[in-house]
Amino acid sequence: MNWLSMVANRLLWFVPTLVGLLAIVFLLSRVIPVDPAVLAAGENASAEQVQQVRERFGFDKPLPVQFVNYLRDIAQGNLGTSLFTQQPIVDDLASRLPATLELTIFAVLIAGLIGIPLGVFCGLHRNSWIDHVLRVVTVSGLAVASFWLAMQLQFLFSMKLGWLPLSGRIEGFPPETVTGLMLVDALIEGDREMIGSALRHIVLPTLTLALPAAATVVRFTRNGVIGVINSPSVAYQTAMGFPRRLIVWKYVLRMALTATVTQLGLIFGILLAGAVVVETVFDWPGLGAYAVRSILQSDYNAVMGFTLCTGALFVFINLLVDMLQAAIDPRGAA
Amino acid sequence: MTTTRRDALKTVLGSVALTSLSFEGASAQAGGKFVYANNSPYDNLDPHTIFDTARAATRFNLYDGLYRWVDNPPKMIPWLAESHTVSDDGKVYTFKLRQNAKFHDGKPLTSADVVYSIERILALKKGPASLYLDNIKPGSTQAPDPHTVVFNLSDPSAIFLTTVPDILVVNSALVKANEKDGDWGEAWLARNEAGSGSYALRRHDPAVGFTARRFADHFAGWTGQPFDDLEFRTVLETNTRVLGLIRGDFQGADGYLPYDQIQRLRQSSNVQIIEQESMRVFILALNCTKPPMNNPNFRRALAYAFDYDGFIKSIMKDSVSRNPGPNPNNIWGTPADLKGYSYNLDKAREELKKVTEPLRPITINALAGFSESEQAATLFQNTLRQIGVEVVVEVSPWSVVSSRMRKADTQADIVPLWKSTYYVDPNNWVGELYGTRYHGTRTFSYYSNPEFDKRLDRALVSADQGERRKLYEEMTQMVNDDAAGIFVYNTRWYGPYSSKVEGIRFSPVSNGQDIRWASLKR
Repeated sequence: MNWLSMVANRLLWFVPTLVGLLAIVFLLSRVIPVDPAVLAAGENASAEQVQQVRERFGFDKPLPVQFVNYLRDIAQGNLGTSLFTQQPIVDDLASRLPATLELTIFAVLIAGLIGIPLGVFCGLHRNSWIDHVLRVVTVSGLAVASFWLAMQLQFLFSMKLGWLPLSGRIEGFPPETVTGLMLVDALIEGDREMIGSALRHIVLPTLTLALPAAATVVRFTRNGVIGVINSPSVAYQTAMGFPRRLIVWKYVLRMALTATVTQLGLIFGILLAGAVVVETVFDWPGLGAYAVRSILQSDYNAVMGFTLCTGALFVFINLLVDMLQAAIDPRGAA
Repeated sequence: MTTTRRDALKTVLGSVALTSLSFEGASAQAGGKFVYANNSPYDNLDPHTIFDTARAATRFNLYDGLYRWVDNPPKMIPWLAESHTVSDDGKVYTFKLRQNAKFHDGKPLTSADVVYSIERILALKKGPASLYLDNIKPGSTQAPDPHTVVFNLSDPSAIFLTTVPDILVVNSALVKANEKDGDWGEAWLARNEAGSGSYALRRHDPAVGFTARRFADHFAGWTGQPFDDLEFRTVLETNTRVLGLIRGDFQGADGYLPYDQIQRLRQSSNVQIIEQESMRVFILALNCTKPPMNNPNFRRALAYAFDYDGFIKSIMKDSVSRNPGPNPNNIWGTPADLKGYSYNLDKAREELKKVTEPLRPITINALAGFSESEQAATLFQNTLRQIGVEVVVEVSPWSVVSSRMRKADTQADIVPLWKSTYYVDPNNWVGELYGTRYHGTRTFSYYSNPEFDKRLDRALVSADQGERRKLYEEMTQMVNDDAAGIFVYNTRWYGPYSSKVEGIRFSPVSNGQDIRWASLKR
């Protein structure tokens, strides 16, 4: 019951959170010294034509009215049309979101797979030489600029060793997709060559995103393990003669992972919205690159659509994290 | 009453050579794929709205115009049109179309398609529209028979013919079938193609780029060993484009890479660098309207305060040549003895003393993402400080800068940027940048000088090449004397291509992206 009310509570906050987010972005986008009517009308349009466009799109109305109209359109599933691609924003986002999601999901998985075992190991061997080495490595991992890391990985694995492709999602021009997730499409079609190509292409961008994220996971897991390992419950389990492996991987890890799971949720959101550098370096056709182009071209509708999309995903992921945490530690849902 | 084609060419084209071509009908030994990594997104394929040089590939490979610019120095060759005549009053241009041109869907290309195309350009008012809006009224172009098209200009125009290659012809039936709410098919053509060009679109993904297949039935036929498939990809990161060329993933990339990257590419045996003097002038555009910028003495002080040699030697690594006037060095229209300005702070201070208006901080609006623009702004800020002029540097994306440049009162005082080639005539540079008639559209300066405008008006209608040369030289001298802009260098094009590719034909208009002439070495 507590769990259900927690979910209901979070869902209730979903809409006002997004409206607040949109309000901020809407105001910020209107501060930029660019007239959207001029952009939409074309560079050679006369003043009268620009005014016609201004009236047609409602840019002549007071900001609060424009915002309410925008919310009304969103409620009808209309995010507007991009000034530059001339396509509905919904279509633009739908064609790019899978690429970013695929990259982000892989990165979070790799970060968890690397970070959690290492974090447990460091927590169990606190202040040992290997703990110190790993702490230095993880601090360095946090400090590494993803741009630099991406180029180093490209240089080593693509240029020097020739093991992995330099950029793109797949060999050649991407085929028509079913889900937009290249690996899932390849699996659906049972195309082994495509599966191999998609896997080879995703390795370097995933590692670039995952390595700094793994550093965060190591630190939080380590702290969690240290906090739990000396607790009375673990002392009791040890006194009861439970095998150490069982104590660590079942009881300690479960209690220690609360903060880590929260971090993984945050990391997912950060990577989703912040993968732009990695997408740019690896020519990965995702949302980040689209957002940057839209900002540079002052494509208001596209910027707001991107914000809404990533904001909604971020809120949704946080909801999932809360549910997962409640499952791990039911006391939190109370 | 019409003149012959030869007469018209003599009078109108000046230095532009309209070379006749003979095309071979024999099928070529084609093959291979050409992958081009570009720094701009192919998010819109419409040839009537996208007009920037960075995305010339869609226009030159998927579409055809009546004439076409090729090579360097640029020559205009007959393309969809075989010939043309001009009326005595210089207002009626009649083009004879080839009989054998077809669109990619097999439909014959006729004069009705040309008429629809120019009407569409005029209606959308984007891309190349500003070249025609003043002089072609909607509904005035006629198609008396399927292979004759008649342009009725409002006034005689000495530059119209040089802009004809920009009237790219779309398949009117196909576009009309996809029009929605009177949009001239704008949404549809952004994602699809309706051309007759050397290559036909196969796939387009705005997030990735596009692929195209060689159009075997192209009217020009095929010779040699052309590429069967083209793939133009958006690769925003310079380092990735460079590494991709070295690895052999890409067979070509944009030719205006930073010079240190060119030097890096030269060390790879997989890459060849094709060098050409382009026609792309780097200018510090001055907004000549706001005090003290409206004072020629102040502008001359600015012109003397820019360290031209330091910029070219230290920042550009001597990879470009000094260009003292608004027109590129390699086109006519600049007086032979034009010296331009040199870096001399003493002279700058002398000019500044003559300025009676109170000084104020000057704003330089550099282009975000263009290192030369940002570096020029910083360098200028430092030297201007030495003569007591305070400068505020702002860095903005092109959309912001261009939006501000639509009005004199919003354009920054100084904008470091390039003027590229859209048609090969001095009017593309000195005329458009400083003529009052171009205020609000193609000007960079809002400079207004009745004597200049008088000459420009004459130069735009004169059929006498000698007279036009003299007029543009006088206009260039006026702009120089008034320091209406600060002219720094003409760009050198360093086209990076796979060493296995041959036959690339560079023109400052197509920027090496017209691939029909290229092939793989066998």
